[in-house]
Amino acid sequence: MDLRPVALALVVSAACRGHEAAPAMRHEARVFAGGVAPPAGAPPASENPFRGDRQSAAEGERTFGVMNCDGCHGGGAVGWAGPSLRDGRWRYGGADGDIFQSIYYGQPHGMPAYGGMLPPTAIWKLVTYLQSLEPPANVPTESWR
Amino acid sequence: MTRLAVLTLLAVLPAGGTAQRGDWPMPAKDYAATRYSDLTEITGANAGRLRPVWSFSTGVLGGHEGQPLVVDHTMYVVTPYPNVLYAFDLTREGYPLKWKYRPAVDPNALGIACCDAVNRGAFYADGKIVYNLLDGHTVAVAAATGKELWKTKIADLSQGETTPVAPLVVKHRVIVGASGGEFGIHGWLKGLDLETGRIVWTAYNIGPDSQVLAKPGTFKPFYDRGTELALTSWPADVWKNGGAPVWGWMSYDADLDLLYYGTGNPAPYNPEQRAGDNKWTASVLARRPEDGTLVWAYQFTPHDSWDYDAASEMILADLTVNGRPRKVLVHFDKNGFAYTIDRATGEVLVAQPFVDVNWAKWVDVATGRPVVDSAKLTGASRGNVKEICPTLEGGKSPASPAAYSPRTGLFYLATNNMCMDYQATEATRIAGTPFIGANTPYHAGRGGYMGAFIAWDAAAGKKVWQTTEPYPVWSGAVVTAGDVAFYGTLDGWFKAADARTGKVLWRFKVGSGVVGNPITYTGRDGKQYVAVYAGIGGDWFLLSGDVRSDDPADVRPPADFMPEIARHTSQGGIVWIFAL
Repeated sequence: MDLRPVALALVVSAACRGHEAAPAMRHEARVFAGGVAPPAGAPPASENPFRGDRQSAAEGERTFGVMNCDGCHGGGAVGWAGPSLRDGRWRYGGADGDIFQSIYYGQPHGMPAYGGMLPPTAIWKLVTYLQSLEPPANVPTESWR
Repeated sequence: MTRLAVLTLLAVLPAGGTAQRGDWPMPAKDYAATRYSDLTEITGANAGRLRPVWSFSTGVLGGHEGQPLVVDHTMYVVTPYPNVLYAFDLTREGYPLKWKYRPAVDPNALGIACCDAVNRGAFYADGKIVYNLLDGHTVAVAAATGKELWKTKIADLSQGETTPVAPLVVKHRVIVGASGGEFGIHGWLKGLDLETGRIVWTAYNIGPDSQVLAKPGTFKPFYDRGTELALTSWPADVWKNGGAPVWGWMSYDADLDLLYYGTGNPAPYNPEQRAGDNKWTASVLARRPEDGTLVWAYQFTPHDSWDYDAASEMILADLTVNGRPRKVLVHFDKNGFAYTIDRATGEVLVAQPFVDVNWAKWVDVATGRPVVDSAKLTGASRGNVKEICPTLEGGKSPASPAAYSPRTGLFYLATNNMCMDYQATEATRIAGTPFIGANTPYHAGRGGYMGAFIAWDAAAGKKVWQTTEPYPVWSGAVVTAGDVAFYGTLDGWFKAADARTGKVLWRFKVGSGVVGNPITYTGRDGKQYVAVYAGIGGDWFLLSGDVRSDDPADVRPPADFMPEIARHTSQGGIVWIFAL
C-alpha cells in the first residue's frame, strides 16, 4: 500500500500546528498490530476530546491491557522493553495529537501501528489514560543513603 | 592427494583456517557445551595476580550477553542490536581492528524482542563467522576480510519472531532458532547450508508430526507413546500460537549424531488458555542435524504455568551414575531442578532441586513427570497465586550457561534465589504485539540474598559449595584445568573462584553489570588470557530500568525488589581481557 500521501498530510498538518515538522515518516517501516494497516486518509485530529475525563481514562486503561500495550510498556506504563509512558517525557512529542499519532501510525523501533485495529475514539481514550498517570516519585532524581 | 600435499595446503590457508587448542571457536568452546578449557597457567595459587590488559567499548548499550570467539589470534565480538561484528587482531600492540561489519538491521526488531536487544554470539566454521541479526536474518561473514558471504531471512518479525540465539554449525549445517515465546510464535528450528545459507529444513517444536519431523519408527521418546503428541496435547489450533521458541544453547554428540536443544515457554503465560501438556514446549529435543528428524524428546515442565523455559544448555558428559558409567546430558532448568539424562534415550536418571523449589514436590523419574503442588498452579481464574519459587527468571537463567570440569567432575553455574507472585490474566493474540497475560512481581528468596555461584555434582544430584551474591547472578561460567572458575555479577564484579572450594580468589570491577559469558584462550605469546563482556541488560534492563541513563525521554524508577542496583552499575558495553 502506498501511504506517502498520508505521510505528506501529516508533515503538513504538524507544520500548520506550529510544531517543529517531523522528519518524513516511513509508514511502510512500521509494524502493523494484527497485521492490519491504518486506513489511508484518516483525519489527524490534534485535540483530545476526552482530556481529563475519568471514565474515558478508565476505558483507556482497559484497552492498554487488552491491546497488549502493557506487554511492552509495562504494567502502569512504567516502562519495560518499550519506554516509560508515565515519566512526563515523550520521544515523539507529548501534545495530544502527537501521542495519538504515535499509537495510530506506530513509531520506529517497534511501536506497532494500531490505527488498523482501534477506532480513533478508543485511541483518544488510551491517550486520556496515559495523560492521567502521575510520574513516579523518584523521577528525575534518585538518591540513596 | 598425498598427506604432504594436504599439510602444505593447510600451511598456506589464509588467516581463519582451523581452530587450535587454545582457541575458542564456538559459544561453549566445544560441541559438548562444557565451557571447559584445558589451559593451566592461571591457578588457585596465582589468580590473585590477574590484571586487566586491554578493554574496548563496543559503542553499544544494552545487554552484552554471549561471548567473544578467538580463532587464529583474532577475537570476534558481536554486539547487541545493531549487531556489529568486530574482528580484533590479537597479534598487534593494542589489538587494533582488522575489520568491522555493520549490517543493516530492521529497528522494528527492538519492539518485537521481548527482553532487550541481546545477541548470544557467533560460531566459527570453515573460515566463516556465522551469527544471527536480531531482525530474523542469519549471516555468514568471511573471517579473514569481514565481507558478507550470504544473508538469509529465517524469521518473520511481523509474527513476533526475533533471533538473538547463537547458531550451532554441525558439519555443513547451520542450526538456528527464533525467540518469541512472549509473542505467540509457532516455534521452530531450522537447518541451513553452510556454503550458501539456503534453508534446508524446518522443524517445528509443536504441531502435527509432519511439521515436528517426528517420523514413525524413528521418533522414540522415553516416556511417551503414540503419534501426534505435539498436536493432541493442545486444544485445537491453539498450538499455532503456542510459543516453544529456541533462544538458548545447542550441543551435539558426534557418536550418536544427535543435536540437543531446549524449547521455551508455551504462550500465553495464562495456562487456562491452553489445556494439556503443550508438548514440546519447556522440553529438550534430540534431532539429526542433517535433516532435522526428531529422535527423542522430554518435557521438563508439562503444561507450564510459570514461564519455565527449558532454553538452558544441555551439557554432555560421561558420568558414573548409580555405579554405572553413563553418557548423559546435564540441564539446569528455569524450574529449579537439575536433570541428569541418558542422552541416547531421554531417560531421566537424576532430577534434584539446585535452588529452593515449591511449585513441585519432586520429579518422579519413573514417569518423568514433576509432582506438582496444586496450590501453586496459576491461571486467570485462580487470582494472584503467592510465593512461587523460583521466579520466571529461573533458578538459573538460560542466558547464563554453566560450565563442566572433567577434572573435578563438577558443574559450575550462576543461580537466582528469588520467588514470585503470579497473577494470570486473559491474553489476546494480536500479531506483532506481546501475548503474555501475567503480572509476576518478585522478591528475594530464603536467606535474603538474590543470587549465588554454585558447584553441582550431577551424578549425585547435590550442591557441593555455594558463594552467595547480593543480586541475582546472570553471567555464564568458564572453568579451567588450573581448577579456576570465572563468573561476573550484576553489580559489575568479575571474579575468579577456586573450583574445588568456591573461595573467591580475585575480583575486578568491570564498569557495568555482567550478563555475558567469560572465555579463556592462548595468546600468540603463549600466555593464558581471560575475556568477558561488561554490559548489564537482558531482563535486568527491563526489571531495573533505572540502570539506563541514555534517554532523556525514558526515565524509570528503581525495581522494588532491588532498589539499589543502580548505585553500583549503569548500562555499558565493554570487552575486557585479563592475564597474569
